[in-house]
Amino acid sequence: MDSMITAAGRALAAGDPIGALKRVALRDDPFALALRGIAMAQLGELARAKSLLREAARDFGPEQAVPRARCIIAEAEIALASRDLSWPPKALLAARRTLEAHGDHVNVAHARTLHSRRLLLIGRLDEAEQSLADFDATPLPPALRAAHELVVAGIAMRRLRTKTARGALARAEKAARQADITALMTAVQRAARTLDTPAARMIAGGKDRLISLAEVEALLASEMLVIDACRHLVRQAGRHISLATRPVLFALARALGEAWPNDVSRSRLLALAFKAKHTDESHRARLRVDIGRLRTELQDMADVRATTKGFALVPHQPCEVGVLAPPFEEGHGSLLAMLSDGEAWSSSSLAIALGTSPRTVQRALGELARTGRVQSFGRGRAQRWLTPAPPGFPTILLLPGPLPSD
Amino acid sequence: MKRSAAEILREYGPFPGADHVHGVTYDGQHVWFASGDKLNAFDPDDGTPRASIGVEAHAGTAFDGQYLFQIAEDRIQKIDPKTGHVLKTIPAPGGGGDSGLAWAEGTLWVGQYRDRKIHQVDPQTGEILRTIDSDRFVTGVTWVDGELWHATWEGDESDLRRIDPKTGEVLESLEMPVGAGISGLEADSGDRFFCGGGNTGKVRTVRRPKRGASAVEGSK
Repeated sequence: MDSMITAAGRALAAGDPIGALKRVALRDDPFALALRGIAMAQLGELARAKSLLREAARDFGPEQAVPRARCIIAEAEIALASRDLSWPPKALLAARRTLEAHGDHVNVAHARTLHSRRLLLIGRLDEAEQSLADFDATPLPPALRAAHELVVAGIAMRRLRTKTARGALARAEKAARQADITALMTAVQRAARTLDTPAARMIAGGKDRLISLAEVEALLASEMLVIDACRHLVRQAGRHISLATRPVLFALARALGEAWPNDVSRSRLLALAFKAKHTDESHRARLRVDIGRLRTELQDMADVRATTKGFALVPHQPCEVGVLAPPFEEGHGSLLAMLSDGEAWSSSSLAIALGTSPRTVQRALGELARTGRVQSFGRGRAQRWLTPAPPGFPTILLLPGPLPSD
Repeated sequence: MKRSAAEILREYGPFPGADHVHGVTYDGQHVWFASGDKLNAFDPDDGTPRASIGVEAHAGTAFDGQYLFQIAEDRIQKIDPKTGHVLKTIPAPGGGGDSGLAWAEGTLWVGQYRDRKIHQVDPQTGEILRTIDSDRFVTGVTWVDGELWHATWEGDESDLRRIDPKTGEVLESLEMPVGAGISGLEADSGDRFFCGGGNTGKVRTVRRPKRGASAVEGSK
């Protein structure tokens, strides 16, 4: 390793990307390219950072396997931070294998955490959990431990395990303090705040109020029959019936749940489920069929009984009934939920994350943009979308050093 | 060229507050090594840390019998080990691409890592007197008993090489085990090489091969 690379590497490690650039800005050997890339990433120039790191990895070639693998991992981390989900996860795995073979345990752990973060971000919770199994964070440096605990907390929050999430966040905070990285501490605090901000709305007994994640967890563990409008499920005491692919049946169930213990008139049900303004005999026949279908779906938990005016929901066991809804409701809730992480997304990444077609996402984004719910910048393939006031999901860069001397 | 496996005699460190070794030298009593923001001395007999000098220290280190020389960024600093003062600064021949540093025969010898070169430099002016080409990335450089040795480190491979200072021809190679790269090199007057261990923060001693009778006659 030469003198200027060492000096630039030290400047980067000390949080001085400008000092690092000053030393290697005019060099384009692979070590200098890698250092320039990481400096650019620290300065927020993520696109330039990615291309520099890619160039460095290419120039290192197969002989310099370790620095090459570290560049690939850094590039993966930047891709993740900029929500570029089209970045190939296979390349990350291959780089991780290389570092495993060379005993670079710290960066192997870093690559594993990135892999889990990606799975969490695209909502593949089972796989994310599996990827964290048998992962021992204890021997890692504090910054990587904090990043790992943030993933654990993120999964626990999505799984509605608030106690696990709080435990992980407390450990993350301690580790972030040890690491003494401001951005990391901010990320942990922001994640901790989302635990206390309203996670959903509870509509029951004619009341509509915001509730926290812990309250959601308690609710779902109770005997209450919950019509879950966040995931389109009907749940009770750990059991659930999915109506995710039956939007009409779910709309009927939700209307009945909101009115419980009262009934809902036929005309109102028709208006809600079929958007019918004027009702005729064919609509009534259709309603009877769909109520019959809903009755079949719900037969283990509740009955749908005809009343003089319309229909009412009657649970089999004596219990309360309520509707759990997203904190803000408008069209394209799942799209807004993804964007609410405060990051700039490409429409293709959103399509991958939501499992829908890019065209559907683009159409939805267009509608949301017209009402000011989302904003975009860039054009063509570089166009990115974000919400105007992002509440935030942690985005941290803990790039691995490219140098063999790191 | 004669090839053999390097025999590691002993490992020192890592020392507290110095997790990298960028350059190594020996003043006859203590081993000095560069760790980025300081020069650290330790006693090679018992391994105990001794003095340290707060000075930028990014690559090779050398000793001329009285003063220390230390590469920092694109310059070579001349340092008084007694006071820790930088007495003089000359430009480094590689303009920052410099790695190893040795003192011999009144001149400085500077390894240039990526350019696979060793320059002979005037210690007063920094002027390049002569350049030797290598076929490997050069890390440490040292002169001992009239022999020019240098270390190489490329990917996973690292070795110690004795070269002909006139032609650059490799005469002998001691191959280091995988994971024991050499980031700085110095020899004592006995049978030891001191080798900086880069990111391990260690300094290793490697046995210097004894010259056969004919070889001694041949080279002296």
